[in-house]
Amino acid sequence: MTSVAHAPHAANAHHGPTSFWRKYIFSTDHKIIGIQFLFVSLFFLLLGGLLAMQIRWQLGFPNTPMPLGTLLPEAMTNGGVILPEYYIQLVTMHGTFMVFFAIMPLLMGVYANFLIPLKIGTHDMAFPRLNMWSFWLAFTAGLIMLAGFFVPDGAARAGWTMYAPLSARPDLSGATYGQLLWCISIVVLGLSSVLGSVNYITTVINHRAPGMTWFRMPLSIWAIFITAILAVLALPVLQGAAIMLLFDQTIGTHFFDPIAGGQALLWQHLFWFFGHPEVYILILPAMGMVSDIIANGSRKPIFGYHSMVFAIVGIAFLGWIVWGHHMFMSGMNPTLGSTFMVSTLLISVPSAIKVFNWLGTMWRGNLRFTVPMLNAVAFVSMFTIGGLSGVFMAATPVDMHIHDTYFIVAHLHYVLFGGSLFALFAAIPYWYPKMFGRMMSEAIGKWHFWLTFVTYNLVFFPMHILGMNGEMRRLYDPTQYDFLKGLQPLREFISIAAFALFAVQLLFVFNFLWSLKRGKKAELNPWQDNGLEWSLPSPAPHGNWERAPNVYRGPYEFSAPEAGNADFLPQHVKLPTDRDPAAATAPASAH
Amino acid sequence: MTHATATATMMNPPAPAEPGSGVYSNKLGMWVFLASDVMFFTALIGSYIILRFGMTDPWAAPGAVLNVPLTAFNTFLLICSSVSMVKAYAAIADGKKYFLRAVPGKMLRDGGLKFWMLVTIICGAMFVGVQVFEYTKLVGHGFTPAGFREGSTLAEHAATDAVRYGATTAGLYGSSFFTMTGFHGFHVTCGVVSMLYLYFTKVLPEKYSAQDYRGIETIGLYWHFVDLVWIILFTIVYLI
Amino acid sequence: MTTEHVRPNYILIWVYLFVLTVIEVGAAFLSHIPKHWLIIILVILAVVKAVMVAMYFMHLKFERWRLRLIFMIPIPLALILVLAVITEKIW
Repeated sequence: MTSVAHAPHAANAHHGPTSFWRKYIFSTDHKIIGIQFLFVSLFFLLLGGLLAMQIRWQLGFPNTPMPLGTLLPEAMTNGGVILPEYYIQLVTMHGTFMVFFAIMPLLMGVYANFLIPLKIGTHDMAFPRLNMWSFWLAFTAGLIMLAGFFVPDGAARAGWTMYAPLSARPDLSGATYGQLLWCISIVVLGLSSVLGSVNYITTVINHRAPGMTWFRMPLSIWAIFITAILAVLALPVLQGAAIMLLFDQTIGTHFFDPIAGGQALLWQHLFWFFGHPEVYILILPAMGMVSDIIANGSRKPIFGYHSMVFAIVGIAFLGWIVWGHHMFMSGMNPTLGSTFMVSTLLISVPSAIKVFNWLGTMWRGNLRFTVPMLNAVAFVSMFTIGGLSGVFMAATPVDMHIHDTYFIVAHLHYVLFGGSLFALFAAIPYWYPKMFGRMMSEAIGKWHFWLTFVTYNLVFFPMHILGMNGEMRRLYDPTQYDFLKGLQPLREFISIAAFALFAVQLLFVFNFLWSLKRGKKAELNPWQDNGLEWSLPSPAPHGNWERAPNVYRGPYEFSAPEAGNADFLPQHVKLPTDRDPAAATAPASAH
Repeated sequence: MTHATATATMMNPPAPAEPGSGVYSNKLGMWVFLASDVMFFTALIGSYIILRFGMTDPWAAPGAVLNVPLTAFNTFLLICSSVSMVKAYAAIADGKKYFLRAVPGKMLRDGGLKFWMLVTIICGAMFVGVQVFEYTKLVGHGFTPAGFREGSTLAEHAATDAVRYGATTAGLYGSSFFTMTGFHGFHVTCGVVSMLYLYFTKVLPEKYSAQDYRGIETIGLYWHFVDLVWIILFTIVYLI
Repeated sequence: MTTEHVRPNYILIWVYLFVLTVIEVGAAFLSHIPKHWLIIILVILAVVKAVMVAMYFMHLKFERWRLRLIFMIPIPLALILVLAVITEKIW
């Protein structure tokens, strides 16, 4: 077995807070903050799912009273039947909650916070108190958004993309306070994201342990780091746009009002200038974490580590110049549209490189199909499908036919659910032992995975067909159109599959909560992984390490000959042939 | 003027750590935040440019609606506060924690951190005050975020001279003016409040020294940024 | 590790900024300059002033290029957004 010359020991001299409030509620410990984000985001994920169930009820069984529908107020349902005014709130808020309060915080708020200090070998984030503020701002933004359902006239309803002039005119949309709350919530959430990202960027640049050079960082951290750069530059644009929308509704400005010289299209440009980097924010951390998990599950180094890094950077860079592909049908300048078509087609290249590299990693590997590995491999295949449908949309002439149809809905759910959410179903059990000191049940996890995988495809694949037949998005009653009436059996099928999909998620919820107290106690390194976090006890203690560990190699040394009998070689383990990193000789500074 | 700064322990990047940005984390974090703030103002100022470019009707002439001399003075005030901020930074880098100290052979006394910070805070607060005064005067004359108020002086002027007063573009003019300058003013106010907080909790009790003046440099960067944005805003809102 | 730090003459920079501002305000009210040229001149003057504040007051001139890069990255993004949308509107 390899000899360990210097084992970094866990911090015990670090004085952590002792009162319940400072330890669990107003904590500055990145791990606790990550866990806080996890609980709150999972709540919003479930809420988003519940909203989707109602949408699917209306689409699958139109004008039929919904079970428990009579419990909802009269503004929402008529004798249990979902009203159109409520339906568009459901559609809007489902998208809003899922994008801003579920997926984004799950990927960044949870895993950026939890993983960065642990994986780069430092005690905490660069600005722990600012980190705490980030969480509470996000939490507040969530409450503000939730309040939209409870105010007079209900929640915002112009779609999660909130296009003007519908969103700017309460007389047109019907939403008054709800629309204001949406804008305010987005501004507050934007601040939370920006402050969080400042923390992540500073920590990764300045606080890497000695020997943790840029190209020895795990891909999860690379992805999170690049994502934070996207967030720090994109969210403020959305904040500006939301403020302008807020002012249009309240103090009488005319930014988006064509009658007074404003431009409705300006909203779309601002929103999508933010919105496209946003979707890369929603996928890059997932890709990064999947890379770590697939390398681990294949017992092989990641194939093409450097090209993976450059692909992440390439995706992030190109992501700024493709936003117009959301606007091909807006009536914008066709020449500008063509440039967006070219850049959008180009951006599929780095993503494809990543897919091939994941396959290359698995090729002839010693595959271990644990729950995280199953979900990670599903990510690769489902994201590929989503990416392929994206190529269709990138071609403007094709997009003319499928824009704002269910083909788009299928695409976005393949990348966001098939992609990001499966990656989260992989990441959550993977790092659960380091968070909570226990393992999630593998048996329940496998049932959850297979049932989810099947029902999920039954829900979303047929939507491609609906879209090709011209079924529009956000439509309350497709049966009012002759050309869509005949597809009702397919809609009903999708809805029933969706109910099953949601029910299966309760397995995950049960597994998550039950394992907190009754899961198998976790050892130090249950997945036999190389990352620095696995050298710490499960759960990791406050302050992580007393002194930063030394790093001697990259994170993907699986099945390396130097490892001897083991098929992995952690980053912090010093072999006789290794030399201490130069930065290790510097005296520890007070900060 | 060359000044060899003894590299103090706190003014360095964290250690032990891999070489990163080469500057301490507070400074790096502030620069990253400022990059995000550039994007925020891009949304507001960029929209203004886009909307104005998209208008075929004439925009109000400079000085017709807005008080350019007053704002030019305000600009001068903000630039002065930027100079006093950087003087404060230079003072503490030299270890001058005091308010004022007599220098033998010179008429003017030498200002330390306490003096220059106070000047910055006062100039910053005056800037906000002048802007509030300007807003009340404008609204009084009838200039609102929605354009010229009906029956106001400006509305009457616009009725007689539609080109000079940009009668048809007044709605957008008001929208963009109040939003851009308002949020800039908000940033200035946040800066003044932060500096006041630091002044009473750290500057007066002399917690900053030549070995650790990170807070001063960090807030200084924010303050200069706010000045920088105003330089752009003043030109494109008041002069063009 | 000591660094030789050439401290700029802040008062001199202040004088430059003051002079440039006076020129700007003056130019804005000289009605015989055609509007197009006026806009270009004023924008250039404003950018020069902004760059001076960034370089000398914020000490970017004396920092390493990596730090300058952080501040410079948003600028092409801002230009892309504004130029793309303006060309779109002009069509």
